[in-house]
Formats: sequence, structure tokens, C-alpha cells
Amino acid sequence: MHSTGEGPRVLKHPLTSRLFHWGLIAGFLPAAVTGFVLWLKPGNEELVNLAMRIHIVGAAILTVSAVLYAVFCLDRIISFIRRIFTWDDRDVGWMLVGGGYPQKMFLGKKIIVPPMGKMNSGQKMFGICLLFGGLVLMVTGWVLYAFIPVTPKAFVYWSDQTHLILGVFLGLFMFVHIFLGIYNWGEFKAMFGDGTQPLEEAEDHNPVWVAKEIEPVKQSGAGTQVSV
Amino acid sequence: MARYDYVEKAVKVSRREFLGVLGVGAAVLWTGAYVATDLVQDRTKYIKLRAKALYLDDGKAKVRQSHNNAAVADVYKNFAEKPLSPLAEDLFHTRYVDRSKLGGLS
Repeated sequence: MHSTGEGPRVLKHPLTSRLFHWGLIAGFLPAAVTGFVLWLKPGNEELVNLAMRIHIVGAAILTVSAVLYAVFCLDRIISFIRRIFTWDDRDVGWMLVGGGYPQKMFLGKKIIVPPMGKMNSGQKMFGICLLFGGLVLMVTGWVLYAFIPVTPKAFVYWSDQTHLILGVFLGLFMFVHIFLGIYNWGEFKAMFGDGTQPLEEAEDHNPVWVAKEIEPVKQSGAGTQVSV
Repeated sequence: MARYDYVEKAVKVSRREFLGVLGVGAAVLWTGAYVATDLVQDRTKYIKLRAKALYLDDGKAKVRQSHNNAAVADVYKNFAEKPLSPLAEDLFHTRYVDRSKLGGLS
């Protein structure tokens, strides 16, 4: 459901979250793509060499983004952790129908799905994988980049294996995320635009969030100009 | 400037939650640091033991210099003529490769 853009709007992604998302695009995306190049080694040695350099720069951007977000936006991280670990009967119902996506994509029909909060059950699963997988990827990556001389061989070996398996898993997950992000065009516009979404669109996608977790902007009535 | 009328309620973190997160974080960091230092200490211990054993072996050895090694002398006498001979150069010596750049490409 896409709105015409008129009517009340809700701030879904604040500036700090959008900046962190750009950090992931500038860091995780090139690191993931070059990670596949380093794993499969297509082409000549120069290509793999270039991929390794991009991989390292991407990893550094990713780490800096994650650390800055953790330091300056701890409340967003706590909110994220609360959301991804909050599961109830609605999530079971949502999972059973795949969020209604297969029906919408392959059969062209819209079915009733259990109402979701800011994140649906699929996003929660992705969130859990990304939280733990991302942390382990970063730690093992730094071990492999900077600490091999002072790290026991067995630890380096398992860091390498873990980095590969999690990298492939999260790398493939990333492509699914990009596809669904573009598929949900309203969500895409909010994340890459000014962070806002028409209220009616949010009510359609995130009814529980709209009912329980948002409030009117305090300063004045509708149409408030706010710098974000 | 973005226009919006609704915003997410502020995240409230209770003192109990804050201390819990802090405690878990500290425990993870402490455990990680302990394991890392323990592994490095173990590694250093084995290196020291190995070095000590090598010094002990050297102390007991009758021949302590490689140029006095009978097997090496035999190789030169019967096969490679003398140290730095063309055959010895060809077989025993390596060549310099600049690996200062990643991937060995210059």
C-alpha cells in the first residue's frame, strides 16, 4: 500500500539510524561482495588482490560505524535488541503464512497476516542473525587481519572457518534484504529519504507499532517542520 | 527539513536493565580478554620451553656449528664441490621476492 504523500507522517528512521545504515552500505556491502570474490577467487590474482584491499577498507568502515552507533545511539540498540527478542503468538502466525509475501509475489493476492510491530518476524530473525553474526564477523575479521602473529594457530583456523561460514550466510541474507527493501518501496523511500513515512502506510505495515509506540510531536499540530 | 507529525516514544531504560546490560558486556569483555591472554601466555610458555630444550640440546651436542656438521661437509665433498659453487647456488639458495605489497604484486 503506497500513500499519495498527503496527510500525517511518522518519523520511522531518525537521522542517526539512517547514517548507520549508510555506514553499513559503505562498509558491509563492499566487504560482503569482495568476500565472495576472496572465497571463490574468480579471475586473475590482481582481481583477488584488489578485492582484498576493498574488503579491508569496507571492514574498517563497518567497524567504525558500529562502534560510533553503539557509543552515541545506545538507546536505539537497546530498542532493537528488545524488538528482536520479543516473540509471541502473532509471530508464529506470521511465520506460518510467510508474512503473506509468497501469496503476494507468486499468486498476486493479499492475505490477512497477524499485525506486526516496527519489525516483522522475518526482520526479527534477520536482526538476531545480524547482531550476533555481525559481531563475530567483525571480531574474527580483525583477528585474521591484525592479530595472526600473536594468536594461537588453532584459534586463527577456527576464526577463519567461522568468518567464512558467517560471511557467506550473512552475505546471502543481505541480497534477500536488498530485494525485500526495494520490494517494500515505501520502506525504501523512508530509509533513503528523510526517514518519514505516511501514517496510513505505517498503520498498514506496522499496526502494533503505530498503536503502542508512537506519539504526536509535542511542539505543535500537524505539519511540524522538524530537522532530522 | 523533514515534515512529520508523529515520532517514536523515547526508549526508557530502567536502572536494573542498564546495570544488566553493563554487567553482561563487562562479563563478555572480561572473559574474552582472559581467554585471549591465557592463550597467549600458553603460547609464550611453550616457546620458552622449546627454546630451553634447544639450548639444552646444543649444550650436549658435540658439533655446535653448521659448517662443522659432518653431513653438510660430506655433501660438499662428494656432490656440491664447495660452498657457493654454481651447483650449490642453484640448489640451496633462494631468490628475493618483494612481498611488501599485499598479494606479492608490485
